[in-house]
Amino acid sequence: MELKNLNAVTFEEIVYDNCENCLVVFSRKTCHVCAEVVPMVEETAEKYKDKLGFYHVDVEEQKDLYNRFSLRGVPQLLFFKDGEYQYKLAGKVEEEQLEEKIEELL
Amino acid sequence: MSVYDLLILGGGPAGLAAGIYGARAKLKTAILEKGAVGGMAFTTREMVNYPGFKSTTGPDLMKTMASHAKEFGAEIIKGQITEVELDGEIKTVKTKKGDQYQARAVILAPGSQPRLLNIPGEKKLRGSGVSYCATCDAEFYEDLTVVVVGNGDAAIEEAVYITKYASKVIVIVIHDEGIVDCNKASAEKAFNNPKIEFVWNSVLAEIKGRENVEAVVVKNLKTGEHTEVKAEGVFIYVGMVPETEFLQGKVELDERGYIPTNEMMETNVDGVCAAGDARVKYLRQVVTAASDGAVAAVTVERYLAEEDDFKENVLNADKPVLLAFWSPADEASIDVVARLEQTVVESGNKVKLVKVDMSRKKRIARRYNVTGTPAALLLKEGKIVRDITGVFEAVWGDEL
Repeated sequence: MELKNLNAVTFEEIVYDNCENCLVVFSRKTCHVCAEVVPMVEETAEKYKDKLGFYHVDVEEQKDLYNRFSLRGVPQLLFFKDGEYQYKLAGKVEEEQLEEKIEELL
Repeated sequence: MSVYDLLILGGGPAGLAAGIYGARAKLKTAILEKGAVGGMAFTTREMVNYPGFKSTTGPDLMKTMASHAKEFGAEIIKGQITEVELDGEIKTVKTKKGDQYQARAVILAPGSQPRLLNIPGEKKLRGSGVSYCATCDAEFYEDLTVVVVGNGDAAIEEAVYITKYASKVIVIVIHDEGIVDCNKASAEKAFNNPKIEFVWNSVLAEIKGRENVEAVVVKNLKTGEHTEVKAEGVFIYVGMVPETEFLQGKVELDERGYIPTNEMMETNVDGVCAAGDARVKYLRQVVTAASDGAVAAVTVERYLAEEDDFKENVLNADKPVLLAFWSPADEASIDVVARLEQTVVESGNKVKLVKVDMSRKKRIARRYNVTGTPAALLLKEGKIVRDITGVFEAVWGDEL
């Protein structure tokens, strides 16, 4: 399942206004670790799509968003629940780690 | 499931070049890659020494290579390999998703990945201030302090790049003052960069921080002194390690995990070649990786042709086969084979003579444990029924 792209406006709407429980992946095109992690998230999304929203932010296009979360690299997987930031996974995330954190959020 | 002629494990420059050569030789070829095509070369921003390209970027060159391979007919499949079975005529590869691929020959081009320092804090803060890729992450350190560990080409070139964003870059060097392992041009650039500060005779002992990196502990090797330095980022460039763990026990690896090959890129397993950074070699660059890939693919092409030829002429022959080994360097062997040929004709062609040039078809010799010339074996359905190497010429006819 392809992740829906967010910009500053849609991010605000979905995460804070609608308080959707979701996972937002911050990545960039030129990052090889992202190229491994993003498809893995897309696959996992297939399994959890009914329970959780899955979104993507391109940090090159959305600088404000990554500044706001003072990110220190890509990829970063940020988890939100009831309109609040919960925790994140960073770097070369494995499928098992991701599923564990998703279960924790649910 | 269809069987490929050639499966290439890894889509870096070695794998892509092998794909170009393999597909062009009309082999049914697939390249398996877990992430971005281009491998580590994908993270190189600036490339100025790939012949024919005065200035290009890693991603650009790699994308060009990938589409080049695809145009010739190579498939590029996304998947992380977890298991391989390399022995036997048909090789099997399994991916994490549970997909299975089979091929008659395999080229191992898994490449390498950055070596970790294995110090406290490194794993925990990976992606939260600890990085191995400046192209990916340098931008996040606008006006912050960054520590770079290492002094090879990658370390020094990336340190210079990071100064585009960071306010200060501290390079930790294990050697005495003024000594760095990188190329001279880059060293000079770094020494003249006012934002770069060098710390000599030192290594990193620890990375500190709760959510993100806050400080590092630098250990001076001469004095043994530990100094805490405030920094928001740590970029680690202390060499590479081959990504060959999944090949453990499947193919010969050296003590550091690299794959030894001969100059034809053959490993110790029949029908399995290796190419690129994961191979034991002197220079690990995109150009040498591509070169390895080309050699490996040609080796595979010949291997498959030989196998086909062997199957048709020896294994599936309609009568017993007399396998005669000769070598152009051994004149006596040439004579013996000529006389054998005559004997076969004289005895009414009851057997089929297959001449094997030992200098070229070493694999067939190995298969039958033949180590010298001349040698002659009588086979039925591929199995030795009689070794007539030492038999007197006078009774050859009776033997046949």
